[in-house]
Amino acid sequence: MALPGVRPATGWLFVAPFCAVFAVFILWPLGYNAWLALHDYFLQTGHTQWNGFANFVMLTWPEREFGPALKNSLIFLVLVPMLQIAGLGLALLLHRPFPGAGLIRALCYVPVIIAMSIAAVVWRQAFAADGLVNSFLATFGIISAQNPPLWFSRENLALYPVILFAFWKNLGFYMVLYLAGLQSVPREQHEAAILDGANRFERLRHVTLPALQPVILLCTLLATIYALKAMQEPLYLTRGSAHTTTALLYVWNAAFYGHQFGYAAAAGLIVTVICLMLALFQFRLLGEHGRLRQGNAT
Amino acid sequence: MSQHRSLHPATLLLLGSRHVGIVLFTVFALFPFVWAASVAFSADTTYMWVFPQAFIPHRPSLDWLVRVFHEIPLMIYLRNSLLIATFTTLGVLLLAVPCGYALAQIDFPGRRALFALIILTMMLPTETMIIPNFLTCIHLGLLDTWTGTIVPNIASALGAFMMRQAFCDLPRETLDAARVDGASEWQVLWRIAFPLALPMAGALATLTFVAAWNDYLWPQVILNSQDKVPLAVGIFHDLTGEFSTSTSLLMAAITVSVIPVLIGFALTQRYFLSSSLVGRQAI
Repeated sequence: MALPGVRPATGWLFVAPFCAVFAVFILWPLGYNAWLALHDYFLQTGHTQWNGFANFVMLTWPEREFGPALKNSLIFLVLVPMLQIAGLGLALLLHRPFPGAGLIRALCYVPVIIAMSIAAVVWRQAFAADGLVNSFLATFGIISAQNPPLWFSRENLALYPVILFAFWKNLGFYMVLYLAGLQSVPREQHEAAILDGANRFERLRHVTLPALQPVILLCTLLATIYALKAMQEPLYLTRGSAHTTTALLYVWNAAFYGHQFGYAAAAGLIVTVICLMLALFQFRLLGEHGRLRQGNAT
Repeated sequence: MSQHRSLHPATLLLLGSRHVGIVLFTVFALFPFVWAASVAFSADTTYMWVFPQAFIPHRPSLDWLVRVFHEIPLMIYLRNSLLIATFTTLGVLLLAVPCGYALAQIDFPGRRALFALIILTMMLPTETMIIPNFLTCIHLGLLDTWTGTIVPNIASALGAFMMRQAFCDLPRETLDAARVDGASEWQVLWRIAFPLALPMAGALATLTFVAAWNDYLWPQVILNSQDKVPLAVGIFHDLTGEFSTSTSLLMAAITVSVIPVLIGFALTQRYFLSSSLVGRQAI
């Protein structure tokens, strides 16, 4: 157990700088948020006052519209299957080497590395009333050119361009994860299936997908947490207009426009707890001693 | 025999649909950039909104691109982005490398608890930490400083996690041999372990650099002076503010700001796309 000359103190010394910054800027905010959620914060003086669960009670008031924001975050979850199906589909298309495959992979990844704030400016232009998307849809006769939809100002429409933007921004990331997963599918199993006369779709269904199960699970969890945390997409595309407010954007607006820091912390705490539960679930399954690491899942 | 099989109509159809699929995905990924570039290079703005003509420059010219450099302090934003991203990356590496090494190779009480804590916080919304961190920075007098922009981002849970994964793979015997020779643990880390973990450190550096380069929310909260903000903040504010009326100028600014990122990506893409590195990080 003991290593030659390595004392526990050395270990502490090595992690100390990380832990110091980690404690101040990651752990403290988490704790402070939880504490603040139960208080009123007075911005002028910096004073706080205990108010019981008043912040949480306020969250349930209909006129506060936290419910619709939460609902928008739940609608955002359609991103999860969209990203899995398209990410896996794209990975399957690009998995087998062909001339230019590397270039195509890189091109499909470009949206991931571009600043979201800058990419969103182009998307906002594309979805303008007289924008490219409406022109495209009118070309195919899907909408009428005389009466084009105003994407961002229609209550039941505004969220969908935002979701499509998030899909566009993240597709490449999931493609890469699925490509990495496809590398680990045993070649022998494919060859055996071919010998057994299985066609492409049977091989996909009975060889590839079962072997990819841990990757699919990981990607699903990552995408779920990502979708629940979405706030920058609507912030950039619509400046956070009412129809596209997600739960975290609601927190943001309450803090920086409403200056209700305690109330914002309460709303943020709810999102944090949901993400924490998902992260715990992920940890149990995929962590070092998780069930999938031990090969229990087949 | 196999040649006959490849001519089978069903196979041809599948091959055809495969190519169509690849083309469709690529077009979807790239259309905003192609559109932005084509508008930026067009002197004639009549077709800018018309599908499909908008994707080809009309009366090509460089006027809009030249104007961008006159109207937006791009070089200042660029310098700020470079500084912030570089120092964030250095900070992340300096903290994450020893931490990951200790988590992987040194037995000390609290190691497992610390690792669990790091993994859990990886998944939490950092956006909710902005408010408390903003208050902390006010107390520390870090408002409108680059220190305040950089330091809160350098304790990267993902970084510690990635470096630990890399150091876990190292053969114990190599490290023990150096220890027996009398090297201190600090020397073992930087002279023997770190060079072996360089690919992962490169991947972490690249990821961190891009994240810091693209970050909008935190720099926007902490920085007030226009001559300190990075590209992602400065451009966004200029483009949604005073320049939002000229789409051509806006697209030109976007084109100019995206080009350095594309060049950087072309040089470092293996860190993003290599399946061995990605697999080790996430799976």
